[in-house]
Amino acid sequence: MGGKCPHRKVKKRRYSHKQFRRDKFQIKGDDAVYDELKKTTGPDLKPKPPSPFDEDLPGMGQFYCLHCDRYFANLTVRDEHFKTKKHRKRLKIMAGPAPHTQLDADLAGGMGMPDNGPKLMSI
Amino acid sequence: MRLEKCWFCSSTVYPGHGIQFVRNDAKIFRFCRSKCHKNFKMKRNPRKVKWTKAYRRLHGKDMTQDTTFEFERKRNRPERYDRNLAENTLKAIKKIVKVRADRESKHILNRMKGNKSKERKRDAKELEQSIHMVKAPSALQKDPSHTLPKVPVKVSQHSEEDRMKE
Repeated sequence: MGGKCPHRKVKKRRYSHKQFRRDKFQIKGDDAVYDELKKTTGPDLKPKPPSPFDEDLPGMGQFYCLHCDRYFANLTVRDEHFKTKKHRKRLKIMAGPAPHTQLDADLAGGMGMPDNGPKLMSI
Repeated sequence: MRLEKCWFCSSTVYPGHGIQFVRNDAKIFRFCRSKCHKNFKMKRNPRKVKWTKAYRRLHGKDMTQDTTFEFERKRNRPERYDRNLAENTLKAIKKIVKVRADRESKHILNRMKGNKSKERKRDAKELEQSIHMVKAPSALQKDPSHTLPKVPVKVSQHSEEDRMKE
């Protein structure tokens, strides 16, 4: 049972794999991704600026999946990723209603909309 | 003193309680207790966790539309202090809390309206099916007042033939 090393539990060992670290810490939050998507693929669609070359990222940061916040080494790998279940699940979540925010929490807790006072400057 | 609401369960977070997480995009997440914090770390969606206020409101368990919700707000421009106003507000708070509690209980009563008949049916069924738990079958045979009256039903007599066929 357990493993080779008695003081390194399975849960700890998992963090040494990149895949697991990505799940836990490195990925953007749902709401951040959602906002980003709204910005780039909203009704007023702007042409995407070419992403800058970054030596530290896989594939120089050229092959990016917006929904999963991941960089890929080349086009074929990214296209392969688009077919995966993880990605399709992510697509479904992002197509749904906006993720939970602090405002939602406040409203659910019985608060009204925030009151910013009267407008001081008239335009 | 600002009373914040927990990001996960929407309960009030008093000063000195809970934990606050500031993400590297400067978004603030407040949690009332470690339970909520842990649930957040597990990336659970409060809309899908049944004990949170977000779930309860979304599924019509709690009152959603009410004028009493308009009083408690995040005020980003503070009111200038006025002694009379403060006094009146303190008086009003008690009344408002009472009104809100009354309306909430009424909402729950309304929600539970159809339940009594359902409960009766369920109870009757349970009584019929498990009366032997209360009274032994042998006792029931002696005193038939606890069982339902027997209704004669016609049964076709062809068991002999069936057995021969098999």
